[in-house]
This record gives sequence, structure tokens and C-alpha cells, in this order.
Amino acid sequence: MFSLAWRNMIRNARRSLLTVSAVALGLASLIFLWGFNDGVHNTMMRNLQQVIVGSIQVHADGFFHHPKLSKIVPDSGKVITLLHELGADNLAYRLRTFALAAGEETSEGLVLLGMNPDMEQAATRIAAKVDRGRFIGDNNEAACVLGKTTARNLGVNPGDDVVFLTEDRYGSLAAEKLKLVGIISSGEMGIDRGLAIIPLGFMQQMTGMDGKYSEIVVQLPKEQLEPVTAQLREKLGSAYEVLRWYDMYPMMKQWVELENAFYYIFLSIVLVIIAAGIMNTVLMSMLERIHEFGVMMALGCGRVRLAGMVVVESLLLGMAGVVAGVMVGLLLVHYFHGAGIDLSSQMDSIARFYLNPVIHTEIDTNHLLDTVLAVLAAAVVAAIWPAIRAARLEPVEAIHHV
Amino acid sequence: MADALITASGLTRFYDSGELKVAALDGVDLSIERGAYVVLAGRSGSGKTTLLNMLGGLDRPDSGALSIADQDLLSMSATDRAGFRLHHLGFVFQSYNLIRVLSARENVAYVLQLQGMDKKQRFALADQWLAKVELSGFENRRPDQMSGGQQQRVAVARALAANPDLVLADEPTANLDSHTGESLMALMRKLNEEQGTTFVIASHDPAVIASARTLITMQDGQISSVKVM
Ligand SMILES: Nc1ncnc2c1ncn2[C@@H]1O[C@H](COP(=O)(O)OP(=O)(O)O)[C@@H](O)[C@H]1O
Ligand SMILES: [Mg+2]
Repeated sequence: MFSLAWRNMIRNARRSLLTVSAVALGLASLIFLWGFNDGVHNTMMRNLQQVIVGSIQVHADGFFHHPKLSKIVPDSGKVITLLHELGADNLAYRLRTFALAAGEETSEGLVLLGMNPDMEQAATRIAAKVDRGRFIGDNNEAACVLGKTTARNLGVNPGDDVVFLTEDRYGSLAAEKLKLVGIISSGEMGIDRGLAIIPLGFMQQMTGMDGKYSEIVVQLPKEQLEPVTAQLREKLGSAYEVLRWYDMYPMMKQWVELENAFYYIFLSIVLVIIAAGIMNTVLMSMLERIHEFGVMMALGCGRVRLAGMVVVESLLLGMAGVVAGVMVGLLLVHYFHGAGIDLSSQMDSIARFYLNPVIHTEIDTNHLLDTVLAVLAAAVVAAIWPAIRAARLEPVEAIHHV
Repeated sequence: MADALITASGLTRFYDSGELKVAALDGVDLSIERGAYVVLAGRSGSGKTTLLNMLGGLDRPDSGALSIADQDLLSMSATDRAGFRLHHLGFVFQSYNLIRVLSARENVAYVLQLQGMDKKQRFALADQWLAKVELSGFENRRPDQMSGGQQQRVAVARALAANPDLVLADEPTANLDSHTGESLMALMRKLNEEQGTTFVIASHDPAVIASARTLITMQDGQISSVKVM
């Protein structure tokens, strides 16, 4: 049955080739668009994680929604050991509190984030976002980095002093004068405004929090995110909160999912077109063989078998289209993964925080698989009507059909 | 009559043509023995094809009774009839008998394949049958690479390869020149004698009629004469 279907397909080689090309073209474009889509989405999600948030943060339970200096990670040593056991080595400790920063002209409330510059380098790329000056370089230096909006509000430039006022662990006021060494211009409001980064060691001394941390930031490859989170949650228990990046900032993931949902709608429209193309070919091929089908039925070929043959022919067209389409599509994705698509002229600064101006295509395996299976399913659906018509033929009438 | 392969009685089939009801078959009684070589003759429109379609389980009468090889054809479902055709009957039609994309060997083997015979066996058997219809060397030819007479002989080989009880042929020589038609009939007659397979052939071709061992003549949907030659 398979070889019969195959030969019928190549019998009208031109028509089949045309159909297969159309399927392949449709599929290749879908794959390329997925490549662009996934490239954009994955870059955005990676950037969000890599710039400052991390893939996972471990806190004392409740810290994320109600951060307080006193809510420290209960046993940071235990967390670190566990993380290393799980193969998560790109991590950094941080201390976080609120502070008032005073510059030449005004003062502003902000989040004070203590970072160890060496560790941070292993965990995030925040240092690369410094636009003027430099990132903090020593864990104990009296230096700070501000976002560009905050720096402008305060009227300070690199080299100027900024005074920070905060509470220490006993609730008494702590004040320090720090030199502004760098200004971050990220395009992201949460960083450009309302954030000051100072060396972790310095901040621990300033607040009396030696050896204490409020967050542990971990950078992980995508596929390790869920298993590591599950392990951490199980082993750390309820005194800790283990938050994935999208637990903390759910907007982006929801947005990506929404976009993907729209993409699936687009996919189904393309599928309808593909199915219509295949159906047209299969129906034509069936209609010009009515006499032959009649002979086959007379010889004892059952209706189900005849219908099955039509479906197999359709599937063959679909499969040939899939093979060609996947090859072309993946070739395109592969090429633009290396070469990139330069969108720098179309991107505003907010987009630039999440996106690199050059998009490198990539495709998620499940998106590729869904698309391929959908095309094959479309080929089967396309065969339903021609197959029903074949099965309904009356042998006597079919044989006399010329 | 113990050896009757086909027993039909009162076979009637109407066609609606406009307001008129035409009886394509009008109460046909028929009995054909195993091993017979019957030619159904008669003018065009006399009901030969209609009767042959009944015997082949391709069409059903409006009334009457029909049994072939001790099986009641009229009580069978369409699926059962397809199975019956597959295992008991062979067909040769007027033209375009063959599946275009298959070689001569594969065409002969097609019925055997439907019967579930494995490839090696059915190809070997197909080659034997192609030899019997004098088409050795044509095994790999496609229908469009063969003459009309060769194609009909492939169809004969296919009809006989599964060793059926009955071979039905409707105007098998209609598209052949008279010489080719005669040699096709000689072949069928020879196979009837050698294999003992029953043949019922509908035709108004004198060459076919000349080959008959039993000649049944039809007129206006009825059997007008039966002659044993
Ligand atoms: N499908 C059909 N619809 C209407 N009338 C038909 C049909 N098939 C056959 N007939 C009529 O039945 C009669 C017998 O036809 P047929 O069996 O084909 O005769 P033959 O094969 O001897 O030429 C003719 O009058 C023909 O017109
Ligand atoms: Mg006829």
C-alpha cells in the first residue's frame, strides 16, 4: 500500500513537487518565524536573568514581598553547599535594604544593594551595564554605582560623593559618604532609577551585618531551572523561599506565553492553507483514478483499504514537505543564529535592555515538534474528504467512469 | 445439477430512465456448471453487462435469487461481497484493467497481495502466470509500455492467479483488433481447459462467440436461447 501510494505520488511528479514545495515553504517560514520569535523571547528572558535578577534567588521566607534588613538567609552556608552539590556554581550573595541617598541638590529614597564584585561577575552581567565610569571593584571600597535617572535626579557625576542614610541591624541610623564611581544606563526603569549598588563587604560593616546575606542569586541554564528549584525547595524547607525569575517578575513570562499563543493561532491559519493545498492535490489525484479505484474494488479491495491508501498518499506529501521544510527552516535558523538579524535601528532603549540589537535566531525543540506534528496532522485532515469520496464509490459506476 | 457453480432465478433489475422504468434484466433464470466456458451474446443494451455485474457481486437485483459456489450473494453485506470477490472471482474488463503505476508482475500479484500472500511468493506466482499468458520478459513493464492485447493478457493472468471459482469478462476484446482478439480468446479457452476454471464472457464480438462452449443469447433483458456448442 505504501509503495502504491508512493508511486502514485511520483506519477504526477510535477503536481506533487509543487504541493511538497508549498508545504515545505510554509513549514520553513513557520520554523524561521519560530526561530525569530524564540530568539527574541529567549534573549529577553536570559537578559532579565543575566543582568541582575538571576535564574533563582534564595531568601528567608517572605523576604521578596516584604524585604527587611533583618530577614537574612537563615543558613547561607547550607544553601551554598547545596547549590554546589546541584551543580549550580554561578552564584552570588547580596545584601539588600532601603536607604536615602543625598547628592548635591536633592535626596532620594532607593534600594541599597550590596554586591560582591567578584562573585557578581560569575552570576550576572550587571557590571557590563555601566555606561559611564566603572563598576565597583573592591568588596570593601567606599564606592557606589547609581542608575542614570537617580544620578541625574541627585545631580551627581562620577567622582562626586553621595551620602547614604540607612538603619543598621540595631535600628540606629548609619550614614556613609561614598564616591560615585559609575553610572548604569540600562534602559530598565527598575535599575536606572531607585537603585544604588555598593560593595557587599562595605555594606555589611556599615549595617553591622558581617557574614549575613539577604539573597543568594543563582544563574542557571534553562533546562536546569525547574529541577534545581524543586530540589532546593524540598531540601531547604519552609524557612526559605526559593523563587525563580518568573516567580519574582511574572510579567515577561506571561507576555512570552501570550505571544506564543498568538503565534499558535497564526500557525493554525497557515496550516489551513497547507491543508487546503494538500487536499486539492489528493482530491485531484483521486478523481482522475476513479476508474482504477473501481477496478481495485471489483478485485476485492475493501473501502477502508482504499480510503487508507488516499490517506497514506496525503501523508506522504506531508512528510516529503516536512523533510524539505525542516531542512530549509533549520538551515535558516542556523544561519541567522550565527549571522544575526540587525534590528538596532528599530529598537528603543527600553527594548535594548531586554533585547540585543542583533537578534540571533534559535528554536525551542517543542515548538519545532509541535509545528511538524501539526503539518502532518493537516495532511491527514486534508485526506479525510478525498478518502470519504473514495470509500463511497460504487464499483459499477466507478468502472464505467472514464 | 449437483455441480452447478452459479444458480440464478428470476433476476430482475430496473433502471429509471426519465419516467420510464427499463428492465435491464427481466426474470433471468440461469444455471452454470463448474468448468463451463460460457459466452453471453446479444445486442448492445440486451442486459449482458447488467447480468455480469450481478454475477460479480458488483450490483444487486431488485428481485430474484443468486448463489455462487453455494453462497447466497444477495444476503451478503457490501464488505462480505468484496471479500467474496477477492477469494472466489476474477475479473477482466473491457479496457484499462491494470493499475497504471504497477508493473505487469505487480498487477498480477495485486490480488494475491490483498489476500495476504507474502511478496516473494506472490511475485513468483505472478511470474508463472505471466509465462502462462505468454508474457515472460514483460514482468517489469508498466501498462503504458504494453500493447492493448498484452494488457488484456496481464488482466487474464491476474484474474486467474488467485485460482478463483469463476472468471467474469465483459467485452474483453472490444478494444483489440480482430487478430489480437482471437488469440486472447484462444488463450482464455485454453486456460479454461487446462485449469478447469469457469468462464463467463459477455460479448457481441463474433470471435468471442466463436470460442464459446456454451452460448447464451440475451434479448431485452431476457435469455432468448442457450446453446451448447
Ligand atoms: N446505469 C444505468 N442507468 C440507466 N440505465 C442503464 C444503466 N446501465 C444500463 N442501463 C440500461 O440497461 C439496459 C441493459 O444495459 P447493459 O446491461 O449495459 O447492456 P449490454 O451490456 O448488453 O450492452 C440498457 O437498456 C441500458 O440502457
Ligand atoms: Mg455491456
